[in-house]
Amino acid sequence: MTKVFTDGLSFALPLLIMAVGAIYSEKSGVTNLAIEGFQGFGAFFGALAAILLMPHLPKSSQVPIYAAMLFAAVGGAIYACLHALLCINFKANQVISGVVVNILAVALTTFFTSTANTAMLGTASNKFILGVSNRYSIPLLSRIPWIGGLFRKMYPFEWIIIGLVVVFWYLMYRTRYGMRLRACGENPQALDAAGGDVVKTRWIAVIISGALSGIGGICFAYSIMANFSPSIYMGYGYLAIAAMIFGNWDIPATVVVCLIFGIAKAGGQQLCIAMKLSGNYTDLFNMLPYVLTMLLLIFFSKRNHPPQACGQPWDHSRR
Amino acid sequence: MNEKKKGGLAGLLTSDRWANVTVSVLAVVLMLLTSSVILLLMGKNPLVAFRSFLQGCGFWPKANYGGGVGMLSDFFDYLNILAPMLLAALAFIVAFKTGLFNIGISGQMLLSGFLATALVGYLKDLSPWLAKPLVLVIGVAAGGLLGALIGWLKYRFNIHEVVSTIMVNYIISYTTGFFINTRYVDMLTRSSRICTPASRLTFTKVEIGGVRCNVPLGILIALAAAFLVKFIFDKTVFGFELKAVGTSRKCARYIGINVRRSIVLSMALSGVFAGLAGVTYYLGYTNTMVPKTLPGMGYDSIAVALLGNSSPLGAIFASMIVTIFQSGANYMSSSVGVAKEIASLITGILLLFAACGEFMKILGQRKIEKEEDKKIAALQAARSREHSGKGGGLS
Repeated sequence: MTKVFTDGLSFALPLLIMAVGAIYSEKSGVTNLAIEGFQGFGAFFGALAAILLMPHLPKSSQVPIYAAMLFAAVGGAIYACLHALLCINFKANQVISGVVVNILAVALTTFFTSTANTAMLGTASNKFILGVSNRYSIPLLSRIPWIGGLFRKMYPFEWIIIGLVVVFWYLMYRTRYGMRLRACGENPQALDAAGGDVVKTRWIAVIISGALSGIGGICFAYSIMANFSPSIYMGYGYLAIAAMIFGNWDIPATVVVCLIFGIAKAGGQQLCIAMKLSGNYTDLFNMLPYVLTMLLLIFFSKRNHPPQACGQPWDHSRR
Repeated sequence: MNEKKKGGLAGLLTSDRWANVTVSVLAVVLMLLTSSVILLLMGKNPLVAFRSFLQGCGFWPKANYGGGVGMLSDFFDYLNILAPMLLAALAFIVAFKTGLFNIGISGQMLLSGFLATALVGYLKDLSPWLAKPLVLVIGVAAGGLLGALIGWLKYRFNIHEVVSTIMVNYIISYTTGFFINTRYVDMLTRSSRICTPASRLTFTKVEIGGVRCNVPLGILIALAAAFLVKFIFDKTVFGFELKAVGTSRKCARYIGINVRRSIVLSMALSGVFAGLAGVTYYLGYTNTMVPKTLPGMGYDSIAVALLGNSSPLGAIFASMIVTIFQSGANYMSSSVGVAKEIASLITGILLLFAACGEFMKILGQRKIEKEEDKKIAALQAARSREHSGKGGGLS
């Protein structure tokens, strides 16, 4: 039972940070299917930084992990500029731009990983081996019965993510910029009339989206995968988008949704182990979060309220 | 001279008739330039690389061939992979014209390919005359039903098709992976056992002009499908209704079109083509399935549709171009020594430029406006000079 909570949380939190990124972009009025590409590219950038740093530090050093997270955010943000440029300045179709950005991310990272590996190690491998981050338990809280598992064996990045989510919740709902951002997605004309800059607000939102997704990607690389390879494109970015829609573009609701996903996934795996089924059956249990999403969407999609101006390029002269 | 050429390009970009074609051609040219730069940076000769792409798909003779294989065999292999690519692009186009994004083409391909393989592919003594049509029917039915389900979820429960298709993609990938691993797996290759030649949509090792070729049936189906889609959208009421729904859902409802029916039918038709793409891919191009792997073609087809300007005839040319890079990648990789992942990189770059089409048109528009402004300014300047000249004369 505690393992369900521990594993569930370590899956839910990276998913959450990506979903928060998606919320930022969509609340500003830019449809963002590119989360999958952002997280992959961010993870690639972070992993590359870690690989370059590792030989210069003692073996058990945890520094590369934090450096990787920083660089993943930077890489995701840089890559997000492409989506912003296409959607905001070039007025491309935003769904198509998202798909394009995703396909390009897979191609770019795979190509560069094998090229970098050939250059550094002489083997054409498409993986950066990273290892798994250390885990820590919180002394008192982890002894609480039932929910103690939530605080046991936590990755340090989980704490960073929780902190970031609080910060970005505050930014969106309690600051001037956050209000402008939300106005930008509902009625950009109103923001323009009030003296705000729609293009600038959206650019910042998409860049934040990329940075947060990059962090989510590198956290998956350091926990579930233990390496960076094309298998980072597992569809978690899309799952984050589903979490956002199901959470009705609202950060607190999305937190709950991500926790449900995480616990469903970890619960499925533990169930599979508990029932002593063969390895093949894990596939069926891995399917669980997706089936759950579909079912929940059927029940909750009707009363969804997506940002009104989402998906429309900003046109100054329209009313 | 240069100035005049640029003006011509801007003119083409803004003309109603040629704008879309010009954008596609520009995208291809820009892609060739960008990938040449990448190849140069890696210290390879881009011309040699592009030639070996063409050699790999039988458009250009290779230096030497193995016994019994020739340029024609390479060309037929190229057609073999072109067929599902074109069908998948048509699947995207049908939905896109109705304002829907079928991101689930991969899943629909996988499901129809799996069902056809499982139900027909392993039947030992079935006549090819029965097996091949049966495979096609299963492909059409599976793809069509799955597409209709997505459409139904869209209108009944307001689930955005992008999200539902992505979820369904993963569900199908895991389920078919489970069944392949438990029932149909070949222990040696770790993918499904190969299906019987009777059920395969490609005739293998046919002797043409002294070389062995794998002749695909799929390419005929794909070309027929392209003209069928063109006919539906250009000549039928049904096609017009779909286009009307795609242009403006509210307006379509206002003039009395059943929008819900159109959405479901459009997704179903899109699924039918995706299903056909699935069977021509899994029971034609390959004859085995790798478990838990969605075909990347489902996403590449979006590139093809975009480059072909979501017109069926444009898709034929676009799929021919994109497939050259996909199909020639292996030969290029072995002869030039660049990782074959560069093929998908090139496709991605092409896609990027094709997505900038709207911006290119805006640039063309601006260019023309600027020139007109210049003319007007020049005219005004001449006039005011005349005026001031007169004034000077009077004083």
